[in-house]
Amino acid sequence: MNEKDDFMRRLARGLRGMPQDAAQDILSDYEGHFEEGRRAGRSDGDIARNLGDPTRLARELRAEAGIRRWEDERSMAAALGAIVGLLGLAALDLFIVLPLLIAIFAVLLGLTVAAVCVSLAGLILLPFAILNMIPVSDGTWLQNVLFATGLFSAGISAGAFCILFVIGLTDLLSRYTRAHFRLISPAAAISTGV
Amino acid sequence: MNHMQGDPRSVEPNLVQFRKGVLELCVLALLERADAYGYEIASRLAEAIDMGEGTIYPLMRRMQKEQLVSTYLVESPSGPPRKYYRLTEQGRQNLLRQKTAWTEFTRAVNTVLEAGQDGKS
Repeated sequence: MNEKDDFMRRLARGLRGMPQDAAQDILSDYEGHFEEGRRAGRSDGDIARNLGDPTRLARELRAEAGIRRWEDERSMAAALGAIVGLLGLAALDLFIVLPLLIAIFAVLLGLTVAAVCVSLAGLILLPFAILNMIPVSDGTWLQNVLFATGLFSAGISAGAFCILFVIGLTDLLSRYTRAHFRLISPAAAISTGV
Repeated sequence: MNHMQGDPRSVEPNLVQFRKGVLELCVLALLERADAYGYEIASRLAEAIDMGEGTIYPLMRRMQKEQLVSTYLVESPSGPPRKYYRLTEQGRQNLLRQKTAWTEFTRAVNTVLEAGQDGKS
């Protein structure tokens, strides 16, 4: 088993799930690095050792790509991608806060879903209230309309708060991760061995 | 501070932070002198500041995205074409700013360190 193949395989495995061409770009960077190293007369083992841990590299690259997409798109899917990438990196560095982070994001996600449901309920109820067709209610027409409108807007504002919070948290985490990316140190202590 | 005495590892997290902080500055400075391809940058900086060579590629990607560097391909005599990195105007200005900040910072730190030595002796 060649060290280069081993490195490339582990890197490729770590990049799985990224867009095909982006992953290919990255792989060709490292492919070229081995090529140049060989030309400089270094052994594959030496080159691989000095590159660092491919699994870790892959996670950093994925986290970075996720953050970049989030900065470009600001969509819900991009936020989710960035969060997953950050959690992947955090799994290596921040064992302790990882469950906390996951919990926070899960709670936020749950609250957002709940808020959406509340506003939907309000939205569905509103036309019935206007037509005075709510059978179970013993309130007046005005009360019913106000209740449905209130439900709707409360759901919207709660949902908006949750989303703003997710955006803020994702931004904060992105900045933190960038500032704290650990340098990938050579896998071996003897960094310039033959 | 007796409890920290003699443990070489206690300085290690600091060192990692230092290197990480200056890595981008070093890459910019290297590219100011001449365009370079990835392997060149990685091997030269790995020697100079003792870091994993693999780190350079994620960093180059980020700097490219931030438009501090641009890339172009050059046919190589043997093997696949090399991807060269060139400093953009924005990168040049960024380098100037970071350089000034670095010089001022190190001067301030040195002043403090030297004052500390004087106080001891």
